[in-house]
Amino acid sequence: MEKPRIGIFSLTGCGGDQLMILNLEDELLDLLSHFDIKSFQEASSYEETTTELDIAFVEGSVSTKTDLERLKEIRNRCKLLIALGDCAIDGCVQAMRNQQMTIAEKMRKVYGVEEDYYDVLEPKGLAAHVKVDIKIPGCPIEKTEVLHAIISLLHGDMPEAIDYPVCVECKLNEYPCVIIEKDMPCLGPITTAGCDARCPGLGLDCIGCRGPIKDEANAAEELNLLSEKGFDFEYIANRLRFFGGNFEEIVKLTGSLKKKIGEGGQTDE
Amino acid sequence: MMRLENVLSPTPAKIIKTEKMTDIERLINLEFLDKNFAKEFIYKPGQFVEVSVMGVGEAPISICAARTNPDILQLCVRKVGRVTNAIHNRKEGDLLWIRGPYGNGFPMETIERSHLLLVGGGLGIAPLRGVLQYALQNREKYGEITVFYGIRCYNMMLFRDEFLHLFREGDKQNVKFYLSYEAPDDKECYELACERSDRCTQGVVTKLFEKTEVSPKNTYAIICGPPIMYKFVVRELIKREFRPEQIYMTLERRMKCGIGKCGHCILGNGTSIKYVCKDGPVFTYLDALNTKGMI
Amino acid sequence: MIYVKLPRENFTAFFESLKNYGKVYGPVKISESYGFKEVSNVAQLSLEYPRTMIPPKKFFVKPKERIFEFDEEKMEYRETVENTEIVIFGIHPCDINAIKLIDRVYINEMPDKYYQKRRENALLIGVSCHPDEYCFCKSTGTSYATDGFDLFLHEINDGYLVRVATEKGHKVITQNKHLIREVEARDMEDFKENERKRLTEFKLELNISGLQDMLELSHDRAIWREYADKCFGCGTCNLVCPTCRCYDVVDCVNLDLKTGERKRKWDSCMLRKHGLVAGGLNFRPTRVERLRNRFNCKGSLREDMMNCVGCGRCTVYCPADIRYVEVLQKVRGEIK
Repeated sequence: MEKPRIGIFSLTGCGGDQLMILNLEDELLDLLSHFDIKSFQEASSYEETTTELDIAFVEGSVSTKTDLERLKEIRNRCKLLIALGDCAIDGCVQAMRNQQMTIAEKMRKVYGVEEDYYDVLEPKGLAAHVKVDIKIPGCPIEKTEVLHAIISLLHGDMPEAIDYPVCVECKLNEYPCVIIEKDMPCLGPITTAGCDARCPGLGLDCIGCRGPIKDEANAAEELNLLSEKGFDFEYIANRLRFFGGNFEEIVKLTGSLKKKIGEGGQTDE
Repeated sequence: MMRLENVLSPTPAKIIKTEKMTDIERLINLEFLDKNFAKEFIYKPGQFVEVSVMGVGEAPISICAARTNPDILQLCVRKVGRVTNAIHNRKEGDLLWIRGPYGNGFPMETIERSHLLLVGGGLGIAPLRGVLQYALQNREKYGEITVFYGIRCYNMMLFRDEFLHLFREGDKQNVKFYLSYEAPDDKECYELACERSDRCTQGVVTKLFEKTEVSPKNTYAIICGPPIMYKFVVRELIKREFRPEQIYMTLERRMKCGIGKCGHCILGNGTSIKYVCKDGPVFTYLDALNTKGMI
Repeated sequence: MIYVKLPRENFTAFFESLKNYGKVYGPVKISESYGFKEVSNVAQLSLEYPRTMIPPKKFFVKPKERIFEFDEEKMEYRETVENTEIVIFGIHPCDINAIKLIDRVYINEMPDKYYQKRRENALLIGVSCHPDEYCFCKSTGTSYATDGFDLFLHEINDGYLVRVATEKGHKVITQNKHLIREVEARDMEDFKENERKRLTEFKLELNISGLQDMLELSHDRAIWREYADKCFGCGTCNLVCPTCRCYDVVDCVNLDLKTGERKRKWDSCMLRKHGLVAGGLNFRPTRVERLRNRFNCKGSLREDMMNCVGCGRCTVYCPADIRYVEVLQKVRGEIK
């Protein structure tokens, strides 16, 4: 049987998701031997730029017009498009200030000029522009998750997405709850699991790096919870936006907060 | 290889034939490798099995035939998820792994010496086909059999040859077969409606109640179809003075384990909690009145 | 029932002797909570614990476990039923009653081999406790364990009055008879007084009379929406519940694409996929239906036993601070 042709690509992001695939050291050679690799920037300078692909893995967000053109071109030549990592799914940290300030404002704040040197777009995930078949969350992705997803595909099956929160994995591992016991600002209750609750397992609060659970995360209650624990609204809003800047409920919530804060300073209900 | 004592252990069965019925449904004919197991694998119409594709998972599939000899297990599988997709991709000679049979099935003894009204919508006809076959194999035990089969369009009709034969010739066996189709411009169905305007109509399955007098007298109604269908069919039956216990229906839920443990198929309220896989999937309308959220 | 006395000075020796019957697990302090962990000496035990976060059901319905390994090419699979003897020391009555309830599901009908094997391989030793402000087992009728254990240690003035409920328990007592005394009149009086006193210590109460009907008659009430707005749907309440036993099954294939394993792990009816069938239809699409289902399931009876043993875990560990008893008091119309 002919090996599936794959390409692994980066848009705007840190490249950490490609790196996680390379980090699959023990399985990497076996895994890659199943494929005919046409592009894998972080692994090889070899590249075929026009070949049809069976699977394209794309990491990074669409943050420039160049990204968008690249993405469309990739989509046109692949059968299955996999969004690899938070950036590719919903923009990740690049989207933190979306809808809070204009691109011009951001340029001024960061570079001190208003001129848009980079043809910047408001950072979004791939699905805002093209059809995405599979999403593998994480910042960065979990290497075992991507491994299992790829195995599933090779086995002729679609990988199953995780849509339950980190709390589940804390309980399965019997990790003490850092919210209940330590009043820490843990985002576990609204964050997509799959990390095996790595941070709470180390006694740290979840910062939400796998993104809020789509259509499920109760961000309003997270805000409630953290404010009851004494955290101020700006802190909470920033925390929620860190990995959830494009998440509808968080945008609405933090939008109204901004208004609230703007109107009466720190509100303490 | 057999380990009967482990209820989670599946038994291998070979696909001896897989037939395309529609774009999304295939009829899978299976034969157990272990002949002794096959002998003991007794099932009733309305029961289901858990079908495994190793490495993909398990899915509950209702058995769509009465038990026959030589023992072939027939499953009508709609491609809707990961497991059923994988089943569709399996070829003749491949293995599937089976646990079961599970569920209560239809009470074929209780409903003996009665007329039967089978109302099936879409894939819901699959378990009813078992009832129909059973009743035809034991024809003397049952009265008049009426079938209402609602389909979307001709191409979506399951067991087409079989049912068209009953549609045309069923009366010889005292089976009245009615057909409804939803697509208004379906040419083939329109032709069927022209052929037998008394037996075929355009519209949803409940429209067939206008085609014939449905009497509750000594009759059991058996319903299976998409969840939305039950309320409407029950309404027609109640209008015709069927008592709730004269109405049987088989339900779909996420029956992951099939043995009342994994909990996914739970429904009901404080006074009546049911596990569809173990307490059902066949319930009466009286059960539904007792158990909120059933239909 | 056979009653014997374990004098306090023999407790350590008795505990040490338990290692002869398997790996010994007991309540241990972890961070601010407690959990059943393997213990090697008495000093590690926290017998005054109010409750563990994860109940002892974890020994029988495992949080994650492999059911079998398969090899598609060879058309075979291999069951992975383990066979380790364990001693669970220091279980509270609520948790013993919860295990009895799960036994009804996992053993009495279509026995689950994995569960049954582990139950057979376990020696259960209960220990008496005092309620804290979250305990309401008195209300659910599960504050006392009449059976479901091998030995039960009731603290009395100078040691423990031990109830011996099974043959297995009796064997332990016989083999340790040098540590055991006969129960004297004073011990019996101590036992009674402690049990009487214990019942007066409960601060939280839930009236369960007619609860099943009241739940059903609240099916369409706004209360479920109210709490669903608060609820994270995180599943914690289920996962820490000693009677919840839903599980999910997943298959994993190895890189050779031929071998793999089937695993199961705890599931929760508060999670989206719980009621979801292939094709996308969800029978409990929002937290409203899920929450209502959970409370109805907990409030329902299995034979004569309620599916809640009043341990308080779901309230203690709920990140949204949803209080189980409060919800049901609202259902009952006792509070607004």
